[in-house]
Amino acid sequence: MKKLLITVFILTMFYSLSAFATAENTPNIVHEKVLKNGLKVLVKEDRRAPVMVSQIWYKVGASYEYDGITGLSHVLEHMMFQGTDNLQPGEFSKIIAENGGRENAFTGADYTAYFQTMEASRLEVSMRLEAERMQRLKLQEKEFVKELQVVMEERRLRTEDKPQSQAYEYFKAMAFTSSPYRNPIIGWMQDLDDMTLADLGAWYQQWYAPNNATLVIVGDIQAATVFELAEQYFGGIPAVGFKAVKQRVEVPQLGIRRGIVKQTAKAPYLLMGYKVPVLNSVEHDEDIYALEVLSGILSGGSSARLVANLVRGSQVATSVSAGYDMNSRLANLFLFDGVPTQGHSVDALEKAIIEQINLLKTEPVSKKELDRIKAQVVAASVYEKDSNFYQGMQLGMLETVGVGWQKSAEYVDKVKAVSAEKIQYVANKYLIEDHLTVVYMLPKSQGPKGESTQELAHAQ
Amino acid sequence: MRSNYQIVTGVVLWFACSVVMAVPTIQHWKMTNGAHVYFVATDGLPIVDARVVFNAGSAYDGRYSGLAALTSALLDQGAAGQNAQTIAEQLESVGAQLSTGSSRDFSSLSFRSLSDPKALKPAWAVFKKVLNKPDFPEKDFKREKQRNLLSIKRREESPSVLAQLALYKEIYKGHPYANPIQGDAVSVAEISLVELNNFYKTYYVANNAKLVLVGGISRQQAEKMAEELLADLPSGQKAVAIAEVDDLTEGTAIHLEYPSQQTHLMYSLPVMAHNDADKFALYLGNHILGGSGFSSRIVKEIREERGLAYSAYSYFHPMVQKGPFLIGLQTQNEKRDEAVSAVKQTLLDFIEKGPTEQELIAAKKNISGGFALRLDSNKKLLGSVVSIVATDTPLNYLNTYLKNIDAVSVEQIKETFQRRLAVDKMVMVTVGQITGEKK
Repeated sequence: MKKLLITVFILTMFYSLSAFATAENTPNIVHEKVLKNGLKVLVKEDRRAPVMVSQIWYKVGASYEYDGITGLSHVLEHMMFQGTDNLQPGEFSKIIAENGGRENAFTGADYTAYFQTMEASRLEVSMRLEAERMQRLKLQEKEFVKELQVVMEERRLRTEDKPQSQAYEYFKAMAFTSSPYRNPIIGWMQDLDDMTLADLGAWYQQWYAPNNATLVIVGDIQAATVFELAEQYFGGIPAVGFKAVKQRVEVPQLGIRRGIVKQTAKAPYLLMGYKVPVLNSVEHDEDIYALEVLSGILSGGSSARLVANLVRGSQVATSVSAGYDMNSRLANLFLFDGVPTQGHSVDALEKAIIEQINLLKTEPVSKKELDRIKAQVVAASVYEKDSNFYQGMQLGMLETVGVGWQKSAEYVDKVKAVSAEKIQYVANKYLIEDHLTVVYMLPKSQGPKGESTQELAHAQ
Repeated sequence: MRSNYQIVTGVVLWFACSVVMAVPTIQHWKMTNGAHVYFVATDGLPIVDARVVFNAGSAYDGRYSGLAALTSALLDQGAAGQNAQTIAEQLESVGAQLSTGSSRDFSSLSFRSLSDPKALKPAWAVFKKVLNKPDFPEKDFKREKQRNLLSIKRREESPSVLAQLALYKEIYKGHPYANPIQGDAVSVAEISLVELNNFYKTYYVANNAKLVLVGGISRQQAEKMAEELLADLPSGQKAVAIAEVDDLTEGTAIHLEYPSQQTHLMYSLPVMAHNDADKFALYLGNHILGGSGFSSRIVKEIREERGLAYSAYSYFHPMVQKGPFLIGLQTQNEKRDEAVSAVKQTLLDFIEKGPTEQELIAAKKNISGGFALRLDSNKKLLGSVVSIVATDTPLNYLNTYLKNIDAVSVEQIKETFQRRLAVDKMVMVTVGQITGEKK
């Protein structure tokens, strides 16, 4: 449905390993032009089908918010469909639909992005409409009151009534102290309740400007045409003066953090996260790519260690995975999550994961294992070419988080250069107990009057 | 910069640039053992996608509900004497991907590899082993069964899953579609390796198989690959037809009390099978009613007018026998009654009056203008061709699609919905807290 909210879901995070790769045997040219007002335009021509995707990325998201206004970026994203000076609420979507297009938007911790997928000759329609709402959004009380209800329903659907998602929210809030990553992207319910139209107006004025945006077009179009249209529709929008974004660096963690979240759930659930750097937080990136490959060794495919040893081997887990998002704007977590099999506790699952980590610290991974991860990365970099949307996503995201879109071209080679020794080194350097946060989600059972009785974590 | 801005609507552009899209040619041949092969040659990317589909979904479970899904999940857990780890390593060391899956009608295996022979040859050989010589090892069987049982237990963590299960149970009472694909705790516990082996031998046979190949290979290569993969499969028998679905005799409302903040609502009845004569009228009508996001009436009424839900939709899910027409949404418990009556009113109104001429024109524009988007990647092509051939739809379906869409009239949609959607026979399922108590 409309208005996706991107939350980094650890269950699917292995796929980040395959992100930002490039094919070796297909051309991979990105055309760039920066307009005088600062709007950056990126174009990738792909002529396989007469279609195109247009994405506009703004450098604003949940990690730009502070206490009391969490969820503001996401609600604003919803309001971007609710009318401008020249468009009635809903008219944007109506025009795209009549042109055969599909559209949506998503908000993450580090970005807010809007996109249309259309037959290639309709590019101008999407540009005209995006330029309109970049400068002439009309925030109206009636639409706001209704849309806020919609977002609250979205929060109930995604978080309140999903035990594992809600546990993840508490987990992040405990893992981070001064980093804005401690807040949920969709915002705390109280903050949504307290939100006003004036908050949204100020946020829109502050962040929606050409010099805070990247326009990415991928498909059956010519770069020269795109640049011309971009100039025509966006060229006249004035740039805005920006104050430097506060850095809000996470303070060092000085010891393991543990927590319990009791939920109306049928099975316990384990979350673990180590504080680690990301591409955007370091000068030298060797460690980052080594962590990326390390996550592949643990969780890249069904031959990888966690599934091989914990699901099929000792059978302590019914599901388990590791994940690392190297492309966030700020330093992040190296994550583990899993559900123990019946008869095993979360505690046993945690110990089994720690054992796997210790193995990485003491013994170098075999060449065969390392080659297997690299082969998957190379193949994935070709598979990605099957999707214009995904190609656009890579460029837009890298540019928006501050890494720069050019980095996408380096990915495969940097992964290939990672050695077994380097993996062992980063395991010892970053996966240490003092930087670890652990949350056990435990089932509670509801009594006849709604009172809870605690089930033991150690069910056996 | 607000001087002389004007929105040029899609209407103008529409006529200016109606694009002719080349529809892919589906090549088809039958192997001597009875297996059907379908092939679409693409260029531009060195990738091969393949899927083998068997009429072997959970509708064929018999008394062991969950059997088809468990059989399918075990295929790559040991084959031709190699264990799950070796199978996975062989595929992943060349970057290939293999997965299995089951629905109520079908079970399938999906494959993706680079077309470079250094990757494709070894990966295809593994695919062949998994498909032809699964071992169903005892240890892996026990483990997968336990994993299924836990996953069945965890269904109770999700009000939307509970709602869907309760709905299918009611609208397909007495029919195999009533059972969950994964089975239930009692039925799965009863399954033994004997049933698994029998199921595999009966249904994973050439006369019951369709292979679809899409990618950067030649016809000759495709034929060779099909031979290698399927020639050793015994011919066997095509699966018997799934029993017809009885029409519902009376409408019902079912409520399950659940400690969630939202009530999940589903309103449904069985309507459309594959290749239904009313297919295009039903599809277009639903597009306007609740199948096209913000342009649809249900989203307008439920979300845009009333702010009741984040997600509200309707769909026809065509199956081998009549699949459900379903309207769904989730709203906070306190708003349940308001949502129920809004959904009912929106549907009644649509059935009584049909769509407006304007709505129909807009829907046709959206579908025709977006046609190219359905076929713009190998992955989507594979999906489209599979759904055509698995359901015995004519192979020129995509070629005549836009003409068929264009031919549908307002009157036809109205008449079809009145004839096919017996509102008084519909089942309403709600899962949530009536008391309104917060969790």
